[in-house]
Amino acid sequence: MASEVRAPAAALPGAPVELRRDVSIWGSFTWGYADVGADVYVALGLVMGAAHGAAPLAFLTAGFVYILIGFAYTELASAYPVAGGGQYYCLRGLGDIWGLIAGAALLLDYTIDIALFATASAGYINFFFPSIQSFAVNLGPFEGVNLIWAAESLGLIAFLMVLNIRGIRESSLFNSLIGALDMIMEASIIVLGFLFAWKPEMVVFQFKNEFLSAALFFYAVSVAIISYVGLESISQAAQETRRPATIIPRTSVSLIFVVLLFALAFPVLSLGILPWQAIAERESDPVAALASAIPYVGFLAGKAAAVLGATIVLISANTGVMGASRLTYSMSESHLLSPWFNAVHPKYRTPVRSVVFFSGVAALEAMFSFLSGPKAMDTMVNMYAFGATLAYLLSFIAMIALRIKDPYTPRPYRMPLNVKIKGVYIPVLGIVGAFATLAMLGVVIWTHALGRIAGPGWILLWLGVYLLYRWKNGLPVFKNIKRDWEKDQIAILTSAEEFDLLEQYKLALAERNKKEAKNGAK
Amino acid sequence: MIAQINPLGAVISVFFVVSLLSILWWMLHPPVYIPAAAAKARRSLFAVKKILVPTVGLPYAERGVELACRLGDEQGAEILLTYVVEVPRTMPLGIPLPEAEQEGSQALERAGSIVKLHGLPFQKILQRARLAGEEIARIARERDVDMIVLGIRSEPGLRDAILGRTSDIILRHSPCEVVIDKLPKEA
Repeated sequence: MASEVRAPAAALPGAPVELRRDVSIWGSFTWGYADVGADVYVALGLVMGAAHGAAPLAFLTAGFVYILIGFAYTELASAYPVAGGGQYYCLRGLGDIWGLIAGAALLLDYTIDIALFATASAGYINFFFPSIQSFAVNLGPFEGVNLIWAAESLGLIAFLMVLNIRGIRESSLFNSLIGALDMIMEASIIVLGFLFAWKPEMVVFQFKNEFLSAALFFYAVSVAIISYVGLESISQAAQETRRPATIIPRTSVSLIFVVLLFALAFPVLSLGILPWQAIAERESDPVAALASAIPYVGFLAGKAAAVLGATIVLISANTGVMGASRLTYSMSESHLLSPWFNAVHPKYRTPVRSVVFFSGVAALEAMFSFLSGPKAMDTMVNMYAFGATLAYLLSFIAMIALRIKDPYTPRPYRMPLNVKIKGVYIPVLGIVGAFATLAMLGVVIWTHALGRIAGPGWILLWLGVYLLYRWKNGLPVFKNIKRDWEKDQIAILTSAEEFDLLEQYKLALAERNKKEAKNGAK
Repeated sequence: MIAQINPLGAVISVFFVVSLLSILWWMLHPPVYIPAAAAKARRSLFAVKKILVPTVGLPYAERGVELACRLGDEQGAEILLTYVVEVPRTMPLGIPLPEAEQEGSQALERAGSIVKLHGLPFQKILQRARLAGEEIARIARERDVDMIVLGIRSEPGLRDAILGRTSDIILRHSPCEVVIDKLPKEA
């Protein structure tokens, strides 16, 4: 009884086709874990390379900002359980243009997520086929292009595209199974490592003696924040999650702490088993290097870590397909993008055009990566950090704005530490989070040369698309479209079958109306 | 193999596993689903922000005060404790009735001490009227009361009527929801 989740009623004949609620509690959790789990797996080597002995501190610093982001997203996703995530919150709290900017920043992250992790997954698969790893041909001006690896990556993107068109149930099931398997494997490495190989004195020694400059440390923190990107995915699937306002706070809070546990355990374990250089050298598979050093299981670790790497980064790419398609679905529903994107497949009830379009964009990015060599990968990582920090900053501001503009919407989860000013609960940690992400965005711009050009370039491109669409369709270009948010909120809560919250909301509105009528009479 | 285990590493491993499992267990056990009708019934009580409780200083009336406090506890409702001194029509309404008023003040004092235990905001209202029931209904209308909670005696009144005159008038003229609490005779 305790974990009862009721399936929603089937859509009525003739009703508009909407997204289907097929994501369970575990499914919701693994949407986020799939994304974040892979990030930690990739970021460990990069952060080690930048922060050396201070890597755990870099993860902890980024983790602090991540907790604040997580709390803010938990509040927003449970109060507004619709597809769109940060984009929707900004649209509602700050207005149309800001919604578009936040949406574009997140789209940047999702498409890179698909391209980067599908490529990485193919790379891990090639661990078992060494001849493919060394295969290279020259294509005109492009030298050393690994066409087989590129074809594998495109094949994986196509596979994920079909999976996501077929239905979120299938896609979510795929994430759930692989996510559970990966979590068991990662936890096993950590437990066995701490039991049989870890030496605390080695951690202390490296922390004391291998600490570099503040600039490098900040760079490491900005890379470490990449390892936490993915919490957003849970809110992207909100419109397809059963009882989202009840489930999402639980899955989000759990994800925050599970990921933090892994993200802090890995660097502490690594520094207690190997010198930081040994991890930094293996940027592509740091966990494999770590696992190989564990007694009794080390001989199996290379292959196991390759399988782990291939699967976890693939489900991260899968999350990217889901995120990008749901985000554009939401943006076109809100008239930020053409309604062409929000067509839902009549049979599978998935946003088919968005899935195909953004899988295509990701495929182009992957091809660009293969044609340009490692520099393109650098560009992608830089843009990844830019997109995430910008979207998070705007989401913090939107959360504060929504507390003021919309105090009536029930919030099943509220960010802790609030100050009541004139009847409005101002989130102190939200303000701290906004400044922390602003600082993080500053660090990203300061330390990632390519990100500061390509990132804003992408945003400007989508801003241009937005302005053209609004102008062509006679919609307000620089102003907001008038919307009845109260009616929308009632529809959202009804569709989510969150009846307790619906009644709370109606009650709050009735009280407000009564108060206003009284004041009017006076 | 066991000799190779680092004690601190073992502690961290246990902490890691216990934390991970606890978080996942908590996540997989959400609150139960609330159907639409249940949510409506449940939340409609949250709209009750002002409860009027008439008291006569007797145990059944004081039980009514406790009941009102429990009904208003979750939403922090304001409790209006009301004692009406009935003045017979043979006397002028303003006639001094120090004993009756003192009795009323004491009844309100006792009722207030019950409300204080719940930490709810409350007001004490001592009024004179020809008919207590009419006065209570008037106060409820004037003060925009959401609910009246009425503790009534367990013994039947005159002519075997279940409700006394006051309760009957309140039920007929009340502008809001009325809850009557009648204990069985044995109580």
